[in-house]
Amino acid sequence: MIEVKGLTKCFGDITAVDGISFAAADGEVTGLLGPNGAGKTTTLRMLYGLMRPDAGSVRVDGIDAAADPQGAQSRMGVLPDSHGLYPRLTAREHIRYFGQLRGLIGTDLERRIDGLVQQLDMGGIIDRRAEGFSHGERMKVSLGRALVHEPRTVMLDEPTNGLDVQSTRAVRGLIRRMRADGRCVLFSSHIMQEVSALCDRIVIMAGGRVAAAGTPEQIKRQTGHENLEDAFVSLSGIDEVQV
Amino acid sequence: MNAAIVVFRKELVDGLRDRRSVLSALMFPLMFPLLITFMFNKIAERERDADDIVIPVVGAAHAPDMIDWFERRGYEVSVGPADAQAAVGDKAHDFVLVIPDDFAADFAEGRTADVELVYDGARKEASNAVGRVRSLVREYGRMVGNLRLIARGISPQLGNPVGIDDVDIASARQRSASWFSFIPMIIIMATFIGGMNVAIDATAGERERSSLEPLLVNPVPRRSLVLGKWLAASVFSGASVGLALAGLLVALSRVPLQQLGIDLEIGPREVAGLLLATLPLALFASGLQVMLATFARSYKEAQTYLSMLMLLPMVPHFIASMSSLGDAWWMLPIPALGQHLLLTDVLGGEAIDIGSILLVVLSSPLLGLLCVELTARLFERERIVFGR
Repeated sequence: MIEVKGLTKCFGDITAVDGISFAAADGEVTGLLGPNGAGKTTTLRMLYGLMRPDAGSVRVDGIDAAADPQGAQSRMGVLPDSHGLYPRLTAREHIRYFGQLRGLIGTDLERRIDGLVQQLDMGGIIDRRAEGFSHGERMKVSLGRALVHEPRTVMLDEPTNGLDVQSTRAVRGLIRRMRADGRCVLFSSHIMQEVSALCDRIVIMAGGRVAAAGTPEQIKRQTGHENLEDAFVSLSGIDEVQV
Repeated sequence: MNAAIVVFRKELVDGLRDRRSVLSALMFPLMFPLLITFMFNKIAERERDADDIVIPVVGAAHAPDMIDWFERRGYEVSVGPADAQAAVGDKAHDFVLVIPDDFAADFAEGRTADVELVYDGARKEASNAVGRVRSLVREYGRMVGNLRLIARGISPQLGNPVGIDDVDIASARQRSASWFSFIPMIIIMATFIGGMNVAIDATAGERERSSLEPLLVNPVPRRSLVLGKWLAASVFSGASVGLALAGLLVALSRVPLQQLGIDLEIGPREVAGLLLATLPLALFASGLQVMLATFARSYKEAQTYLSMLMLLPMVPHFIASMSSLGDAWWMLPIPALGQHLLLTDVLGGEAIDIGSILLVVLSSPLLGLLCVELTARLFERERIVFGR
C-alpha cells in the first residue's frame, strides 16, 4: 500500500514534481505513465527514500518514507532507474548479496534464489559472471535481487524498457504473479501498451503533475477518447509538442 | 548478519577477482626486494672493484720511487695512454695519473712536484677509485715530507700543529640506519598503493557502473556500507605491507651487508615494530582513499585524485633527506609522518617509549574511522548519489 500526498521536488528553479497525490493498493498493479521528463523517476526516487521531498508525504504500509526511510525500504522491493551489476560477480552472487543485506541467510536464502531462477528463467546464467550479460539477462538479475526478500510492496522503474519480446513476457508474468499474491506493484513506463496490458490503475503524469488517474475505463470516460492511447496523448500534451 | 560484514566479504571477493586490484597489491611489494638486492649488490661490487685498482700511469720513469711504493702497497701499475684526456673521455680508462717531465727535477730540488690526476667527475662509478688514488698520492707525499724533516733533524709534528680525533657518538647501527632511510618511505607507499584500487572500485566504481542506487535502496545504514568497503580496502593495503616487509627481510638476508660494513639487525623485535608501525596506517590510508574516491564520478577521476595522494607519504622522506625532521611529540599522531619517525627509530635500534608507540598506532585507525563517518554522510547527499 503506497499513499502519496502533495509530493514536490525542485532542482534549483525547476520543479520536477509538482504536488502530486495518488495511491497504489495491495493486490493491484498501478502504472505510472508519462512521457520522458514527466517526473516519473524523481517521484519513484522519493518513494523509495533516496531523495527527500521538498513538500508532501509518502507512506508505505503506513510508514512515513521521509521520517523512517529504512523502515519503509524494508517493506519494499525496488528496481531503480539505474541498475548496474558487478561484472566480476555471478548472477547468484548478486542476488545472494542483496538477500544478505536484507538479513536473509542460509538455506532459506538459497531456496528463495532457486525460486527466482525458476520464475525468471535464469537457469542458464545463474552461475555465470555478469560481465557480458545481455540487456535482458541484466534486467532479470536486477529484478531477482530486488525481489529476493519477497516484499509486499514493489516499485519498478521502467522494468521492460529495451527488452526483447521473450524477456518482456517473463517480466509481465512475474508482475501478474505478484498481483495474484496480493502484493502492491507500482511500475513506471512511457509506453502505453505496456501499461494497458498490465495495469488495474493508471496514473498519468505530465510536467510533474498528475494529469489523470483511475482505471483504464475511467480515464477513457474522463477524456472522451475511445482508446487509451488517444487519451494518453491528449493528457500528456505530446500532441501540442508535435504541433 | 551484520551488513558491514556482508559488504566486506563481497568487496573482498570482488577485489580478489579483479586483476588490477591484485596486481597493484602485489607488484610493488615484489618490486621492492628486487630493487634492494640490485642496489646493494651494485654498491658491494663497486667496493670490491676499488680494492684491486690498476693505476694507469703516464711518465712512470720520472718517479720510480713513488711507483715502487704504490706496488709495495699492493696496487698494480700499468703504462698509461699517450693522450690521457682523450682516453678518459672515450671511457677507455676511468682515470689516468700523469707524471710530468719536470717532476723528477722539482722532486730532487725540494720544490712541490705536481702530478696530474685526469678523470671525469660526471662519472659516478669511477669516483671511488679516483678517491682511492688521490689519497694514495697524498699519503706518499706526506711520508716523503716527514722523512725529509727527520733528515734535517726536525720533528714532523712541527708541520702538523693541530690534529683531529673523530669521536662519533652514533652507534654503528644508527650510522647504518641512514643507509636504510628509504625503507620507511617504501613501506608507507605500499600501504597507499595496496588498497587503492579496491577503494576506488567500491566507491567511484559503484557510481560509474550505476550499481550505487540499487545498493542504497537496501535498508542498511550508510555507515555499515562504508565500513565494509573501508575494511576490504584496508585488508588489501595491509596485505601489501606484509608482503613488502617479507620481501624486505628476504632481500636483506641475501645482500652482503657485512662486506659494506653495515650493521643492521632485523630480529623478531624489529619485525614486530615494523608491523606495529605500519599496519594501522593501512586503516587511515584506505579511509582517506575511500572518502576522496567518493567525490569522483568515474574510476579515472578517482585514480587522478589518489595518485596525487600518493605523493604525501614521500614528503617526510624528502624533508628528512635534506634536513632534520626533528621529533616533537605532535608529529607522532600525524599519519605517515609518525610512521616514518617510528620506523627510523626501530631500524636504528633505539629504545622507544610506549607512549610514542601508542600515539603512532592509535591515531591512524581513529582518523580512518573519522573518514568513514564523513564518507557515510557524503552518501546521504543526493548530489553524490545521483550526481553526474
